[in-house]
Parts: sequence; C-alpha cells; structure tokens
Amino acid sequence: MKKLVLLLFLGASFMSQAQKVSTRSGFVKFFSDAPVEDITAENNQVSSILNLEDGSFAFLVPIKAFQFEKALMQEHFNENYMESGKYSSASFKGSIVDYAKIDLSKDAKYSLQFKGTMTIHGKSQEVNEKVTLIVKGGKVSVQAEFLLKCSDYGIEIPTAKKDNISNEISVTVKFEYA
Amino acid sequence: MLKRFLVLAAFAPLSLWSQEDLMAELEQADANKTEYAFATWKGTKVVNLQTNELPGKGVLQYTILHRFGAFNDDFFYNFMGLDNAQVRLTLDYSPTSWLNVGLGHTGFRKTYDVFAKYRLLRQSKGARNMPVSVTGFSSAYYSANRVDDGVDRTFGRRMSYVHELVIARKFSQKFSAQIVPTLIHSNLTNRAADNNTQIAVGIAARYKITPMHAITVEYVPVLNPNQYPDLSADPLALPMNVPFSNFTNALSLGIDIETGGHVFQLFVTNARGVAEPYAFTQTDGSWLDGDLHFGFNISRVFTVSN
Repeated sequence: MKKLVLLLFLGASFMSQAQKVSTRSGFVKFFSDAPVEDITAENNQVSSILNLEDGSFAFLVPIKAFQFEKALMQEHFNENYMESGKYSSASFKGSIVDYAKIDLSKDAKYSLQFKGTMTIHGKSQEVNEKVTLIVKGGKVSVQAEFLLKCSDYGIEIPTAKKDNISNEISVTVKFEYA
Repeated sequence: MLKRFLVLAAFAPLSLWSQEDLMAELEQADANKTEYAFATWKGTKVVNLQTNELPGKGVLQYTILHRFGAFNDDFFYNFMGLDNAQVRLTLDYSPTSWLNVGLGHTGFRKTYDVFAKYRLLRQSKGARNMPVSVTGFSSAYYSANRVDDGVDRTFGRRMSYVHELVIARKFSQKFSAQIVPTLIHSNLTNRAADNNTQIAVGIAARYKITPMHAITVEYVPVLNPNQYPDLSADPLALPMNVPFSNFTNALSLGIDIETGGHVFQLFVTNARGVAEPYAFTQTDGSWLDGDLHFGFNISRVFTVSN
C-alpha cells in the first residue's frame, strides 16, 4: 500500500515536471512617484515557474538584485527599507484565474486575473490583479502591472522621507517562459 | 494514520501541491548564490578610523570634519570649546566599485594629503563563504607648517604616512564591529628618541538604534606611544625639569545620523588632530581629565557617472 502511494506520487511529480516552464531572467521594475523625487529600480534576475497544466505559478525576486540609478539609493533600499539582509527575497505563489480558457496551440493574447499570496519584507498579503498572458509560437509570457502599498508589507517610511518615497509603488513584472 | 493521509492526499487541491512544489524549486535554484554583506557602517569613517565602506562606483564624496576645542579649556568662556575649531576637508571619488581615491586638507599643521582606499575581501555567505570584509587604506601627508626652530625641514621630512587594514564584520542587521591594524610613520618626529614608526590596533563597533541612527564607539590604542613634554603640572618649569608623559589613546563615542545623501556623525572624542597621524599618535588629552572635544563629520555624496 505504501509503495503504491509512493509510486503514485513519483508518477505525479514526473508528469508535472514535463508541463512546467520556467525562467531565471524574469523582469521586475518598480516606480515610486513622490513630490521630491522619482525612484525607479529594475531587476533582471527574477526566477519564475509556470505550470502549464493548471496555471499555477510562482516567482521569486532577489531583493539585492534591484538596480538603482544611484548606489546610495540602492543601499538605503536594502538596508533601511527592505532589510534584505533579513528578508533576502520577495515571492508570489498562486495561480492564473480562468487559465482553463487559454489554448496553447494558437497565438493569442489574454486578459486574465492572477491571485495568490505575495510575500514582501516578511509579510504576506492576498493579491488579486490583472495579468496579460501571451501565447506566441507555443511559448507563454506574462505581463502584469499593479500597485503595492509599502504599509501593507510593514515597510516603514519615516515622516522625514515622505516627500522622497511614495507609499504606493507601481510594479511591472514580465516573464518570458521557455 | 495511513488512511487519513490518503484521504487528505485525495482531497487536497492539486494546485496547492504544485504551488508548494514550484516555490521549493525556485528557492532551491536560489540557494547556491553568493550573498554579500552591505552597509556594515553608515559612513566611510567611524570617527577617526576608516570603515570598510567605500562610496559606490562613480560617486564623488565631499566631507567636512570638525573638532572643536576642549571642554576643560575654560568651558563657559570658550562656549564649551565651540569657539575653537580644527577643520579637515576631503574630496574623494570611486572610479571603480573597489577603489576610492581622494585629497584632503587639514588646518592642524597645515596638512595636505592624498589617499586611496581599496576593497580586498567582502564578507559573504552562500556559494562563497567569507566571515569578514577586508579593506586597505593608505595615505600620505605633507605638513606645510611654517616652523622657525632651526630644524631643516625638506619635503621628505615633512611627510608622514598611514596604512590601515580594516577587518570588519557585520554580525547582524544592527551590530557591526571591526579591528584595524594601523601603521603610522613620520619621517620627522618631535624628539630624537621618538619612534618614527608606530603601530596601533584600532577597534570600533556600531549599533543601529533605528534604521537611520546608529551609536558608534572607537578606541585606537598605540602599542609604542611617543612622549610629549607635560607642562600641565608646572607651566614655568625649566627645560631640564620638564616631565614627559605618554601621548594617550584616542577614544571616541558618537552617533551616526543618515538623511538621504548625507551622513552626519556627531561625537565626543579626546583626539583633536583631525587627520589620521595626529588623531592617533598625538593626542595628549585624556577622557579622565575632561579633555574632550565635541566634533562632527559630515559627508555628502554626488553620483557623477554610472
């Protein structure tokens, strides 16, 4: 009986292995628009996996890999706000809603929702946002733009910095799966 | 037990299993990266000692270093020592992420200096494990002081040099410490019996009390201190009767305040000479005598190229 269960699980994991696509060079960008300055940072080292079978997907963002225009901004981001020594990555796990609709056999662009749990700075939030899914030549890519609130994730911006850093951060993600 | 497990397995949503699976796969792939320690200190100096920090690549840094007069020198008349100040100005630039070069001028002994700071090792964990960061600092000082004492002061005799090896470790988000073996060489000393080359082993620590504020402490014991004529007991003593005292070690206690592009460092120290050779080896005041100086270092950085 135990063997049977094991076999079942092994079989399942082999099957799912074949239906997953991933990337190690996903793109995440964020933008903060505050009265004194605009801050933007980009990250090209985001890894993500999409399960083509059921639309479940996850991504992992190494915080230290965000590149800023100024070295000092990057240091403050890591040291003072994201505490990336303690919380080295942000992550999302969840799924694309209505994934069953899409047809991987022909090129098309879909507007869908994704939902799941976003974890940033050690704090988790349920999110439900729009995502664009593109099928081209059998390959899938996803793009999403959404807003995050620093306060939702326990990221404190001191009063003295309110004019430099916005509480609302606009985030863009792009993953091209292979 | 097994039955219960089977039932669970059968009813658990498949997507949940695969999500956990996906995240585990991502994390596993992430595990063999190297993570470097950063922001071990707020500034490039603790108080008098260098830290292992360098301004980022393409960053120009300007610093103003002030040491006011002594508390025990007519405290009220001299407004807590604030009426007398020693100033040092520096300008440095990092052409690469591992090298910083700069120029400085100090009012004390009319000193001009050039310096270089270079990153040798970086504290890291993960694929590459390194317990400490090691940074070198080397500087050469020229004293342009006009002295009329009959001593021949050629260019070479006006030079002194300092080399620091900063071995630092960030123990936690809040606590960092470093040990700094230091070599100080002066081509000309005050007395023939003085050591031209002195060795000090500086130690320093910081504790962050908020993301923007840190408390620092720094102590620089000199292993072979020189002596100075001590007139404090009898200012009118005849030259042959003047007793000599050892120069004391520099001890400083400060607070770092960070405000975006600036770092303000406010502290109390017994070292009044602002440039390294004087701060480390020619401090005659002691904390016990109240020979303390309020001081500050202010740095401002400008990103001039990417």
